[in-house]
Amino acid sequence: MATATSSQTRNTVYVAIFAAMIAAMGLVPPIVIGIVPVPITLQTLGVMLAGALLGPIRGMLSSLVVVVLALAGLPLLAGGRGGLAVLLGPTGGYLLGWIFGSLVIGVLFKYWVLRQKSQGTRIVTGLLSILLGGIGIIYLFGIPWTSVVTGLDLGTSALGSLAFIPGDLIKAVVATLVAVTVHRSYRGLMR
Amino acid sequence: MIAAHNTSYLAKLPAGLKFGALLAISIGLYLIPSWQALVVLLIGSLLLLFSARVKFQQLRTALITLLLILSFVFISLGMQTNWENAWVSVLRLLTMCMFAYAVSLTTTFDAMLELFQQVASPLRYVGANPAQISLGLSLAIRFIPELKRVYLEVREAQHARGLANNPLAVAVPLVIRSLRIADDTAEALEARGYDSADKLK
Repeated sequence: MATATSSQTRNTVYVAIFAAMIAAMGLVPPIVIGIVPVPITLQTLGVMLAGALLGPIRGMLSSLVVVVLALAGLPLLAGGRGGLAVLLGPTGGYLLGWIFGSLVIGVLFKYWVLRQKSQGTRIVTGLLSILLGGIGIIYLFGIPWTSVVTGLDLGTSALGSLAFIPGDLIKAVVATLVAVTVHRSYRGLMR
Repeated sequence: MIAAHNTSYLAKLPAGLKFGALLAISIGLYLIPSWQALVVLLIGSLLLLFSARVKFQQLRTALITLLLILSFVFISLGMQTNWENAWVSVLRLLTMCMFAYAVSLTTTFDAMLELFQQVASPLRYVGANPAQISLGLSLAIRFIPELKRVYLEVREAQHARGLANNPLAVAVPLVIRSLRIADDTAEALEARGYDSADKLK
């Protein structure tokens, strides 16, 4: 029983540190592209890394912890946002998408990417996993949510999110390289 | 977005009541199709915020972001359907967010978190451990300044090596050191006999 409890505590601490990483990445000042201030933040990089490094359950819980703390009122989201309005507002779906995004990335890393032997195939499969989970799944929640909340049709809602795609692609590449490198030097993260 | 020293009558109401009311209002707002009624409700929500003596300064960045998104929504919705439709949609969202701000800004973080934990407490029966949930939430908050410190250290070290602009050279050591901190913390908790056994069982 003692070992079961201690591994549970360790898992909790891992979840907490990745939640803190997602939150801390929101502190980095948003980069403004063009005239319209579209905040490109690093937070989804943290979401991607949580799934890729901790696996499905713990990765998902890390995102969930950030969402819960933000909804409870801590200004953890990019630009110091927080509170219940974030979920009710037009971009609330992306926040829910984080939770499922890190879950999907975690599943793919655990059962697909980490079973690849060579570094090259790990990078390719890892990038595909992160593109699917970190961009595909998050937008799958975010775009229909905006559409339902505002009454815009899906096409316009998707068009509005296009501005974030370049930043997200860069983050996906960085997350893949970081995850593959860390898994090589820090083995046994997902047992 | 924290209820900083708000001592108004709204702050004295139990968090569960405010949360429930917000949920009901949010659903109700979707059933109202007329913009006139929504204007009245928006004024009502603003009066609520004023009467609770909320500092509007706290809302500034949140409102700017919200208004930017809403203006995009307004223009595209107006051009696609009609302008009345666009007004209804934008007013509804604005009103909903104002009510949400009224709840968030008059409820302390502790009270809100306690409410969430109460809501999540039935999860105990499917194997979730409330003590571990509390530990995870409080550790996450504690780790944020810790990670900022680690980030600054790693960046300084890589700057000295001329690698400050290489995202991988900063991110990889940052992640590995975070994992070390997590391992150390877990060991320290175990060494002190941290017992998370569910006493409610």
